[in-house]
Amino acid sequence: MKLKLIRSGGFIPVTKAAETEVHITEQELDKLLSIIRRDPAGPRIKDGTYYEINVGDTRIPVDLEKVPEKYSHIFVTLRENLKIIKNK
Amino acid sequence: MCNKHFSPVHCIIPPYMLKKLMESGNEKVAGMAARTNFRSHRFRNDRIYFQKASVMEKAILGLTSTQPGKTGMQMEVYDCKQKTDFATAVLLWDTKNTPKITSLAGKNVIRGGKASWDFYWQLFGRNSIDNQGLLIKQYIHYDKGMDNAYWDGRRMVYGDGDGTVFTSFTSDIDIIGHELTHGVMENEANLEYDNQAGALNESFSDVFGIMIKQKYIKQDVRQSNWLIGEKVLVGPKYALRSLKAPGTAYLNHPELGDDPQPATMDKFQKMPDSESGDWGGVHINSGIPNFAFYVTAFNIGGYSWEKAGRIWYGVMTDSRLASNASFEDVRNLSIIVAGEMFGTGSLEAKAVTQGWSEAKV
Repeated sequence: MKLKLIRSGGFIPVTKAAETEVHITEQELDKLLSIIRRDPAGPRIKDGTYYEINVGDTRIPVDLEKVPEKYSHIFVTLRENLKIIKNK
Repeated sequence: MCNKHFSPVHCIIPPYMLKKLMESGNEKVAGMAARTNFRSHRFRNDRIYFQKASVMEKAILGLTSTQPGKTGMQMEVYDCKQKTDFATAVLLWDTKNTPKITSLAGKNVIRGGKASWDFYWQLFGRNSIDNQGLLIKQYIHYDKGMDNAYWDGRRMVYGDGDGTVFTSFTSDIDIIGHELTHGVMENEANLEYDNQAGALNESFSDVFGIMIKQKYIKQDVRQSNWLIGEKVLVGPKYALRSLKAPGTAYLNHPELGDDPQPATMDKFQKMPDSESGDWGGVHINSGIPNFAFYVTAFNIGGYSWEKAGRIWYGVMTDSRLASNASFEDVRNLSIIVAGEMFGTGSLEAKAVTQGWSEAKV
C-alpha cells in the first residue's frame, strides 16, 4: 500500500510531502498507527512543525519520535524525500 | 503575566465586567469591583512610570530584578549533533564557562542571544525571558537538515536547513530575537496561538526580532530593509518576511512560489484553525500588524526601538491585553498606550493611529 507523509507548519508555513510503497498488512499498519498517533490538541509549539500520515482519504497526526525500530527505515526514507508543495 | 501582579483579579476580570459589577445591586460585589478597578488604575500608572524610567532609575529603585545577584545574562548552548533527543545534546558553551567555539551556528546563537538579552535589558530593564533572570537555552544542529527554528516553551531550537532552499536557521539575528520573544510573550500577555491572537503573537516576535537586528547593526527606520530571515532563505532576492511590504519577501521562488502574507485587513486570509491551516494563518496574517508597526515606526522616524518599540513593548506587557486579543483590540490598546506614554494627540500617538489605518484595521 501507499503511505504518504506530510509535514506542515514552521517559521514560514511550508508544506512538504513524500510518498512510498510499503509492504505491510493492514493489521500491522493499524498497530503502528496506534503507537505513533499524536493528539493534535497537545501543546502548540511556537513555529513548530507537525507530521501527519495520509492513509487513503484519512490524515492521521503522528509523532515520528515514537516510530518503532522495525519501521524506522520507512520513515527515514520518507523524511529524506520530503518535497515542498509550492504555494499557488 | 499574573505572577507579577499585586492581585490575580487583574488578570481575570476584563474592564467591561468590572464596570458591570460596580453597577451591581450587591454592595459587597460592587465594593470588590471598585477596589479592583482602583488597584488596576494605580498599577497601570506605576507601569507607565516603569516603562519610561531609565535603567539607572530602575537600578536605584531596585526594580530591575527580583534576583539582584543574577541580573547578568545566563545562557547555555547545546549541540544536538543532528539528532532529535535533547537529553543527548552536548553542552557547547555557557556563560560561566566560555570556551572558544569553532561552530558557526554556535557563534551565531551566542551573538543573537546576547543581542536579544541586551535589547530587553538596556531598553526595558527586562531581566531575560521571564524578567526573573531565566537561563536561556539554545539548541543547534537539531535533526538532519531541519529547515526550521522554534520555541518549545523551554528552549530555542535551530535546524541547519536543507542546504538548498534554506541555510542554517541561526544565520539571522532577527530569527533568534523572534524565538526569544515567543518566550517573553508567554510570560506576558501569552496570546493564544491561533487566528488573530496567534497572528499577533507571531507579529510581536517579528517586530521585536527586526528591532533587535536594527539595534545590533545600528540602523534607523530608513536604513533598514525590514526583512526577516534574509540569509536563511538562499538567494540574494529572497527573505522569509518583509515588514515594510508583506507579501514581497519572496516572489516567483522556484520552490516556495510567492510570499502569501497580506499587508492589509481587506486581504485577511481565513484559514482552518488546524496544524495544516497554520492555526488560522498565524504566520500569514501576521503581515497585517507587522505592516502597522512598520508604518508607525517609519512615521515616527529615527530608531524604531526608541519610541515605536517602547509603545509595542508597553502593549505586550499591559495587563489590559487579553490572551484572545483581536487586531482591533491591539490597535485600540496601542493608541491608548502611546497616548499614556507620549500624550494624546502627540506625534507618536498619531503615528500609531496612522499605522493601523494604513493596515486597514
